[in-house]
Amino acid sequence: MSTAILSRQAAPKSPAARAVREFFSNKLAVIGVFIVVALVVFSFIGPLIYQTEQVSTNLMQADLKPGEDGHPLGTDGLGYDVLGRLMIAGRTSILVGLAAGVLATTLGTLWGSVAGYLGGWVDATMMRIVDAGIAIPGIFLLLVISAIVRPSEWMMVLIIGAVSWLVPARLTRAEALSLKSRDYVLAIKATGGSNSRAILRHIIPNTIGTVVVNATFQVADAILLIAYVSFLGMGLQPPATDWGAMLTDGISSVYSGAWWLIFPAGIAIVLIVSAFNFIGDGLRDMFDVRGQS
Amino acid sequence: MTTTTTATRDSSGLRLFSWFLAKRLVQAAVVIAIVSVIVFLLLQALPGGPARGILGQQATAAQIAAFNHEQGFDLPLVQQYFNYVGQWLQGDLGRSFVMNTEVSSVIIQRLPKTLILALAAVGGALLVSIPLGMAQALRRNKAFDYVMTGLNFIVYSTPSFFLGLLLIMFFTQLLGWLPASAPQGDTVAEILSQPKEMVLPVLTSGLAGVATFSRYMRSSTIDNLHEDYVRTARAKGTPMNKVISRHVLRNSLTPVVTMLGYYLPVMFGGALVVEQLFNYPGMGLLFWNAAQTSDFPVLLGCVLVISVATVIGSLLADITQFILDPRARGGVK
Amino acid sequence: MSTTAIAENHPVPALKFENLVVDFKTKNGTVNAVRGVSFSVARGEVLAVVGESGSGKTITSLTAMALLPSTARTSGVVEVDGHDVLNASESDMGSKRGNVVSMVFQEPMTALNPSMKVGKQVAEAILNHRGVSKTEALKRAVALLEKVGIPDPVVKARNYPHQLSGGQRQRVVIAIALACEPTLIIADEPTTALDVTVQAEILELLRNLVQQTNTALLLITHNMGVVADLSDRVAVMNAGKIVETGTTVQVLTAPTQPYTQALLAAVPTLPEAKWDTVIAEERARISCPEDAVKESTTVAPVLDMRGVCVDYTSGGRKLRAVDTADLKINPGEIVGLVGESGSGKSTLGRAPLGLVPVTGGSITLFGGNVLKASTREIRTLRSRIGIIFQDPGGSLDPRMIVGDSIAEPLVMHGINGKRPSRSVRETRVAELLEAVRLPATNARRYPHELSGGQRQRIGLARALALAPELLIADEPTSALDVSVQDEVLTLLLELQNEHGFGCLFISHDLAVVHSVSQRVTVMQSGKVIESGETSRVLQLPEASYTRHLLASVPSPNPLLQRQRREARLALLSSKDS
Repeated sequence: MSTAILSRQAAPKSPAARAVREFFSNKLAVIGVFIVVALVVFSFIGPLIYQTEQVSTNLMQADLKPGEDGHPLGTDGLGYDVLGRLMIAGRTSILVGLAAGVLATTLGTLWGSVAGYLGGWVDATMMRIVDAGIAIPGIFLLLVISAIVRPSEWMMVLIIGAVSWLVPARLTRAEALSLKSRDYVLAIKATGGSNSRAILRHIIPNTIGTVVVNATFQVADAILLIAYVSFLGMGLQPPATDWGAMLTDGISSVYSGAWWLIFPAGIAIVLIVSAFNFIGDGLRDMFDVRGQS
Repeated sequence: MTTTTTATRDSSGLRLFSWFLAKRLVQAAVVIAIVSVIVFLLLQALPGGPARGILGQQATAAQIAAFNHEQGFDLPLVQQYFNYVGQWLQGDLGRSFVMNTEVSSVIIQRLPKTLILALAAVGGALLVSIPLGMAQALRRNKAFDYVMTGLNFIVYSTPSFFLGLLLIMFFTQLLGWLPASAPQGDTVAEILSQPKEMVLPVLTSGLAGVATFSRYMRSSTIDNLHEDYVRTARAKGTPMNKVISRHVLRNSLTPVVTMLGYYLPVMFGGALVVEQLFNYPGMGLLFWNAAQTSDFPVLLGCVLVISVATVIGSLLADITQFILDPRARGGVK
Repeated sequence: MSTTAIAENHPVPALKFENLVVDFKTKNGTVNAVRGVSFSVARGEVLAVVGESGSGKTITSLTAMALLPSTARTSGVVEVDGHDVLNASESDMGSKRGNVVSMVFQEPMTALNPSMKVGKQVAEAILNHRGVSKTEALKRAVALLEKVGIPDPVVKARNYPHQLSGGQRQRVVIAIALACEPTLIIADEPTTALDVTVQAEILELLRNLVQQTNTALLLITHNMGVVADLSDRVAVMNAGKIVETGTTVQVLTAPTQPYTQALLAAVPTLPEAKWDTVIAEERARISCPEDAVKESTTVAPVLDMRGVCVDYTSGGRKLRAVDTADLKINPGEIVGLVGESGSGKSTLGRAPLGLVPVTGGSITLFGGNVLKASTREIRTLRSRIGIIFQDPGGSLDPRMIVGDSIAEPLVMHGINGKRPSRSVRETRVAELLEAVRLPATNARRYPHELSGGQRQRIGLARALALAPELLIADEPTSALDVSVQDEVLTLLLELQNEHGFGCLFISHDLAVVHSVSQRVTVMQSGKVIESGETSRVLQLPEASYTRHLLASVPSPNPLLQRQRREARLALLSSKDS
């Protein structure tokens, strides 16, 4: 009650400006933006400046320690320069993660808003499919699919998108359910407007907060999933690589004494996933979206 | 409305509960049916069908045709599906291509071990994260909250196998306190007799749980702290610490219970990675080994069993929530 | 009783404000919520602080409880029963809250802990301040529940809040406030969320309690009727300052300040029913709810609903929201549809719009049968209806500029069967904005940039876009402050005069309905109770329920309100006898 009064009295700025300021007042979110920008520059512009051989192996140069022979982070068991490899692996992780996250969110938003708005049997059927999808742990499904088809990068995007759209679908449906009883949506229905108008012009634009926040979390989760798939030995075929695959390659080195090899890729994953989560958290404050973590 | 007697309210509560239960059970059955269709379709999607998987790449077309006929794989899809469902309902998940055993018997041996690991991890995580989330909510946007939120996000963002490796490097290689290998053995009793070996696997899967649960508990507590009933309680002179323990705690827990239902698939997924890393003989390791050898009956059997377990788990979570939250129980307005 | 006599008995006032200033530090700068407020309340006295939203009345009251948010900065003197509040420690205030000063809140639906039994919630207040056992506290809680008029207090004490009605919940909140017999009770809009008949009961309860216990009551409200009913003195607040104080009769019947005068002029009033006749009839039970509606054969009605039933299913059970209701609107006629929450008035209003499941009866819209027409025919029929809803925040899409919202019906249905061009749309939007007395530049603004009253005008413009023959208005002014409500109602009447559309005006507020409608229909529990000419229904109501409803609406005139209160009690007693 008292806060409502306050916000009414002290609102000289537009909500957009206030929202942006809200976002930047979240210190973690600002750190997140900074990390994402830094890692994108590192992965996409880095290889132009720091050029290394990342296709054919060079066993003569294998297992160099950091700093040896002009390799700042050393080389791995196949002789690839670790720093250079970190860059091209990052390219894959970031691109696949972004694409899969966006794909999952788009699919989920459409599915959820149609189910929520139409309601009744259509909703029940569509949501039971989502429930069934959620009941099968994504990583199990990923492994089964990877056992059937050996994934390329785009295949990976499709597969991760296919197991990740369920949560956004559920969230958007909940949102659509509450939006459809708003007066401006009722008015469309009552005065003879079409379902597609209600969904496309009114429901989806008003779920934008939920969608954007969730997309950010989806990208973070997708990058983690790629790492898990690689760890379980079902990832991309060498010489293509991603941070998860690099980290996995490093595991055997831990037991052979080259413990540092797990850190470049491991830290990179933690950084980028944390950064997207921080940004999502900031966006949630900004859009004032409740009930998502 | 005011004239309705309490007796009818109570009976209407019971009616509401049975309606809710019936509806939820039907939903669960439908979900399991859809899962079975997905599993069946995956089976169909295998390259060259299951025959290639079993007979190998060198098998001739004639051998494959004979195998398909013998296994009933040349029947119409719908009929094949119902044949499968018939077998599944009898507890028959087929035979492993690789291990020469019934899939169901392997799963029955492995599932309890995964459940022990999961229960220990989730239980431990709840014990830590409920007080942690509340403490963060009460010190919202103070240094403690920022640090814990940052840490939670970082732990959440760390692939569990990386986290596990770090723990091994620290506790096993550096300090030499704990073994890096999980308990071994066929029976549950054998597993339980090696508590020291359990520590690292439980810690690895538990930490991710702490990160998730404490975020939920934090936001749920913050929401409840803004509720009007907190102001009412303070207005009658209840000190803030009592307001928290008497009023806010219970109401904040309800959404956490719902979340536990959703967390089950995540937990099983996590078990897959942790079991692989520590070589813990549960369902996850079984599944991973099957994936390495393309042992499709085992893979699909595991998916089926885990999905059913998840559906039952979230059903239980919903029922618990229904019981915990008096608003859901009876006499809606 | 006179104030001076009380002051002699208790030289220390129950509550004293001296030059209270409250500022809030926000990210957008400092907000001066309260700017130098001074008044005091004696024991046994009811002081009403009245004002529109944002006047600072709630902030003032929270100061007395020391329950302001931590961003508040206060100065001045606040004393409760002689104790300094502003400089008191938290533990010190903890021992005062609920003990010396307690509070009744606006929203009984959320004021109680949903997962704790109500008896325990009342007992908690006793346990906080009295060294008694839990059993003893629960016993006292039951006695308190009985005292505030809760039936079956022993059973109800073991219920959860959601099992009680809104009025009962508010009684529980009052029981909590009374638990330790405080010197002062602060009631912040205690009846705003309640239906008018329940409001009358709660006001009656508060009046009796104050008289019995000699407690001081600080009443915060925006409702002049509530002020007239309950208070001894009034302080009118606007923009953080007290504008006028005086006895209730003085301020409400002969206000001296222009602000108070304007505020009172904007309050819609209900004509006095002929109480003597009504009460005599009620005693003699000559009640005939069937009103002889003059059947006009010459004009076809724009809307004719006969025997309409609406059923919802919830939790596997069928709930009848509307039960064989009849309603007719002739061209150019405004029909008021009144009832309390749950009466089915909104549901009946939505039946011709296809928004609710109609399970029986017939609905004829502009001569076409809505329940039997094809989808295309229905679409055409509905394009001749305009709709305006209650919530000015929810009736416009927040992500659309208002010009597009107004033009949407034009795009959906076209003009003369054609989708209008952009320039045609813009011209029409400008015309419509002019019609609702808003500058055309508003077309490019978003709803959040407009005030509640402006948004409701936009809603009206949108509803008029296709020159409807029927306007359905569902509580169009309920969320607005009384001065804004007055403006919107005046505009609605002018537009209706100009365009001559028929109108279904749904409202819980009998006074508002009186000011706009020619005929009125009263609903209760899904059934139409009474309908007829507005002046007849409101002055010589025939159904018992209508009579009771009318007697429950508090009049802003304290002298008339006394009559109505007595009439209400007389009607109640005739029911009991």
